[in-house]
Amino acid sequence: MVERISFHDQIQMNKIKSFVLIVVIFIFFIILGYIISMILDPSYFFIIMIFSVIFSLIYILAGYYNSDKISLASVRAKPASQTEHRMFYHAVESMSIASGLPMPRLYVMESEEINAFASGRNPQNAVICFTTGALKKLNKQELEGVVAHEMSHVANYDIRFMTLTAVLIGMVSIIAQMFLRNLWFANVGKDRDGRVQIFLILLGIIFAILAPIAAQLVSLSISRKREYMADATGVKFTRYPLGLANALKKIKNEHIPERERKHLVAKAMAPLFISDPFKRKVQNLFSTHPDLDDRIKRLEKM
Amino acid sequence: MIWWIIGLAIFIALIFVVYYNRFIILGNRIDNSLSQIDVQLKKRADLVPNLISSVKGYAKHEKGIMKDVTDARKAFMSAKTFEGKVKAGAELQNALRSILAIAENYPQLRANENFLQLQQELAAIEDKVAYSRQYYNDSILGYNNLTKKFPGMLFASIYGKKAKKYFEIPAEERSVPKVNF
Repeated sequence: MVERISFHDQIQMNKIKSFVLIVVIFIFFIILGYIISMILDPSYFFIIMIFSVIFSLIYILAGYYNSDKISLASVRAKPASQTEHRMFYHAVESMSIASGLPMPRLYVMESEEINAFASGRNPQNAVICFTTGALKKLNKQELEGVVAHEMSHVANYDIRFMTLTAVLIGMVSIIAQMFLRNLWFANVGKDRDGRVQIFLILLGIIFAILAPIAAQLVSLSISRKREYMADATGVKFTRYPLGLANALKKIKNEHIPERERKHLVAKAMAPLFISDPFKRKVQNLFSTHPDLDDRIKRLEKM
Repeated sequence: MIWWIIGLAIFIALIFVVYYNRFIILGNRIDNSLSQIDVQLKKRADLVPNLISSVKGYAKHEKGIMKDVTDARKAFMSAKTFEGKVKAGAELQNALRSILAIAENYPQLRANENFLQLQQELAAIEDKVAYSRQYYNDSILGYNNLTKKFPGMLFASIYGKKAKKYFEIPAEERSVPKVNF
């Protein structure tokens, strides 16, 4: 029973965090609108503020309802075929039975690396995406282990918070960069109070620097513990910890030469994956994923 | 003072609602898991005619085993209760296992695309039955814990919910039996 309560807590936490994230993004755009109106012309203040409220609402709603589609499109995933990826379907159907969750939609992305992610806003609208490499190289038990890991992300609403973060903040950092670029143009040839201008430019620069850092920090807060939790919950579905452990070992031992790696994955999407698509040799503060060895060790102890 | 009483009454009413819903949710979970098992058993029975027809061409003199499978399927189709279905389903599984085992003696059959596909489907169904059985066991455990533990047992007696009878669903192996020869 204790376990169930903590699982329930995880779901609540993810829903609350998603909501907070949405509020933060909303405020961000309002402030952005305020700054823009100050730079352009304070007399347009109301028009710009109304515009930025409408814009941020559309941005958030579109992001919320299409987060799965956006994340799938960003890795150029295609729907998995019932005949060609039979094993994949069987593994996910089995895990959806074992977990009592509805069947997610399945996608496949082109990559030799073994990797996978889940996305969507709730279990009823979830997607699971595997790389072609994973479908080729993993055997049935390993495949089920990885699917179970992804299904746990679906079950505890990790997918909502993770995908929203990747989509909303990922886009914010792009927009902030555009803002910075336009700020330079906007200032050319405009004669206004120099001090105000310097202040605004500084503010703009701070924004543009903060946005990617924020993305980095949020991705940090996303992954580490979540991966352990999902590993553990996944084992509750398969009752076979070695399946996932072996899959993680295969991921660890896989050496794909840098030049053959296709970097289809946007940086902001990295935390969604079961293992970091931008594998680094050294584990550090900014790694989005916990150490594979540690995860394998924990699984083998179960 | 009156507000305290009203507040307390609302609080108690809420607890009653919460517990009622939990019984319903956990009960539905059990029904759902049973229907999952049913679906998978049905799927398996549906694959039988197909399997027989693809085996027939290659293994003509294995009539005995094929008759066993057909009979087991008939028994499954005519079973009325869920218990009966589960039992007949297990029989069918045993019969299928022996048919898959003799297939090892017929290299041409083993090379048959259709047969291979059926074999894979049957293995996947076996997995799914095993997983739905696992889910059933968990669900019934959750429900019965709720009815037996305090304070759930109080609400169980108020709502007239009894611990559900647990019935044994035969375990199925999660992979096709490997035959050494």
